[in-house]
Amino acid sequence: MDFDFTKEQLMFKQELIRFAKKEIVPRVQEHDLKGEFDFESFKKLGEFGILGLHFPEELGGGGADVVTTVLAGEALGEAGVDGGLTLAYGAHTFLCADTIFRHGTEAQKQKFIPKLASGKSIGCMGLTEPNAGSDVASMTTTAEKKGDRYLLNGNKMFITNGPIADVAVVYAKTQPELQHAGISAFIVEKGTKGFSAGPPLIKMGVRTSHTSELIFQNCEIPAENLLGKEGDGFLMAMQTVEWDRSALLAPFVGSATYLLKKCAQYAKGRVQFGRPIGQFQAIKHKLADIRIFGEAARSLVYRIAWCKDQGRPLNHLEAAIAKLYVGDWSMSPTFDAVLIHGGYGYCHEYDVERIFRDSRLAPIGGGTSDIQKMIISKLM
Amino acid sequence: MNFDFTQQEQKLFKDINDAMLEMAGERTLEEKDPGNAGKTVREALIRLEKTSYLKLGTVQDKDIPGLCAMMGAMEIVSSFSQSLYLSVEMSTRLFGRIISTFGNKEQKNKWLSPVLGGKKLGAVALSEKSMNIDNDPMATTGVRENAVIKISGTKNYVINGLTADFTAVAGTIESKPAIFIVEKEATGLIPGKPLVTMGYDGLSVSGLTLDECRIKECDVIGPFEDNSAFNTLKMWENQILVGGSLGMMKASFESAKTYAKTHRTGGKPIIAYQEVAFKLAEMLTLLQTSQLFAYRVAWAAEAKNRESEVLTCCAKVFCTEAAERVSGSALQILSGEGYLSGNAAERAYRCAKYGQIAGTSTEIARVKIGNAALGA
Repeated sequence: MDFDFTKEQLMFKQELIRFAKKEIVPRVQEHDLKGEFDFESFKKLGEFGILGLHFPEELGGGGADVVTTVLAGEALGEAGVDGGLTLAYGAHTFLCADTIFRHGTEAQKQKFIPKLASGKSIGCMGLTEPNAGSDVASMTTTAEKKGDRYLLNGNKMFITNGPIADVAVVYAKTQPELQHAGISAFIVEKGTKGFSAGPPLIKMGVRTSHTSELIFQNCEIPAENLLGKEGDGFLMAMQTVEWDRSALLAPFVGSATYLLKKCAQYAKGRVQFGRPIGQFQAIKHKLADIRIFGEAARSLVYRIAWCKDQGRPLNHLEAAIAKLYVGDWSMSPTFDAVLIHGGYGYCHEYDVERIFRDSRLAPIGGGTSDIQKMIISKLM
Repeated sequence: MNFDFTQQEQKLFKDINDAMLEMAGERTLEEKDPGNAGKTVREALIRLEKTSYLKLGTVQDKDIPGLCAMMGAMEIVSSFSQSLYLSVEMSTRLFGRIISTFGNKEQKNKWLSPVLGGKKLGAVALSEKSMNIDNDPMATTGVRENAVIKISGTKNYVINGLTADFTAVAGTIESKPAIFIVEKEATGLIPGKPLVTMGYDGLSVSGLTLDECRIKECDVIGPFEDNSAFNTLKMWENQILVGGSLGMMKASFESAKTYAKTHRTGGKPIIAYQEVAFKLAEMLTLLQTSQLFAYRVAWAAEAKNRESEVLTCCAKVFCTEAAERVSGSALQILSGEGYLSGNAAERAYRCAKYGQIAGTSTEIARVKIGNAALGA
């Protein structure tokens, strides 16, 4: 066993942290308060090469391996980039662009990947519906073939990047009677007649990511926008889980490191009863618990990434365990961080307040903790 | 990065598992055997010696797997019997490592070879009035008198205290930390009564009194310039407790899982109820997270990572607390059956507490981790 990163990976991580601290983090607070997506930061992520890090260079990517790609997510969290932007990046790169990259035709890849990798286009994925969350088979959005076109009808819900996306990978039933096997995936471009997005939902956290409903009313798309074959959609959606349980969890690991530094810094400077509060054992214990969470979570996330690099099929048990641990246990460090900061921690000025709200999504998004427990208990 | 054990390491795990299975047979390995002076543990040492288990972490050789495999191997032995595990570990991984790391050639020949050969049993006497040695100076002292050292002091909570052939006694000489190796028959070594403990039913634990106990000068390791040797000892002890926690969790989880799949109520196996299934899912999550954490800190120690000590504290807190939680959940699932003496979960639940108070206690470990975060 070897838990080390290569020298190049560590240098890349440090470089990304420096970049993010300088170019992105200074605008986080303002955008979070306004609930606005930070287009400039997103564009800068593209310029730095993050949005297409794992795609081949000929498609505008960086050709990185999975571990390095996941490390980028950790670095963003460690730098203090907000959960909204890292979520937007995740939905864009892994849920949308990667699905096109893995399952698209050469023409589809050439058309969409370079723009998505550079950030010139923003992507999203439309899977969840108002009445179909983890129970994907109960989705009601349909895609009816009419000659050389498909007619999409239905609504998608809680779609990250929904209101701002140029490209959407949308799942719909082409043969509703086949349940999972009747689901297909399509590329839908912004401006397509019959396709619209609802207004951004006002959320508890990850406020800089825009989330909305997607509405399809007799939305006509060319048949060439089908991804892969009819009926392959469910498997495509499941394949995104590999990224969801690694690259999308990594910012929470990085965020624990960020919280630890912030809390330690505050505890050293805040004086009560004649001494810095960091000298009280109760504060040290909280700092310890934040560190312990981050260290425990790290290996779970990188195990998924490393196995993907080895070309192994996703181990669904290990993936669900990673998601359950990071999701459920990541709440406690954010709670402790707010408590260490006392009244200040409850105020927006101190970003532990934002991280507390952002983290609440971890046990919900991408399959709730209860769903993970269902998966684990069925597989054990 | 590599998350796999090698074929050689996997073979070692199989050999250890087979050796323990053969030894356990139909009997429990947790019964006290005060009259047999550690007969069970001596049998285990002989069986384990046929694998490279006793040498893990102690002998540096290309044919001996490293510390990650040591953790994996510890989990296996602990899952069979926590008492046997701790007894073997104190002899090989703690006593053995003291000699292999700090001892000279003669000392290694005299004590290390028989211990790693499974022929002799070692013990380490660290604790005094209280279990932790972090806050109070060591009161046990050695006084030089010609070529003889006279040791005086009282040690407590000594595992293998009544059964060991050799005991490494921590103390000071000329105000500097040192370790005295005391053989069983040494004049002035007075074993205390066996201590009755909450868990570890089959373990020999006692106090030791050293009343001007006489050893030769060549039987002293050290003196050391500072406490770093004792800190290293604590880290090794913490590694042992981490490995032990993995075994407890594994045994409890497997016991609860089997029961949940076979015990029926309301016309279906109880695993079909989400309350039970979800508990098992949380238990497995804690077990796998602990395993990876343990392997990672073992790797860090082997790589001589500068954060190795604090990382070990992190894993020790996490794994020992997880062990209590997992065994507690297992008890809940096993219901009345789990509450009966001798059940794997009941036994692990009683043993789990020890992991939190021994070594670097959970509270002191958290203070150390906090200090590291503060740069203190």
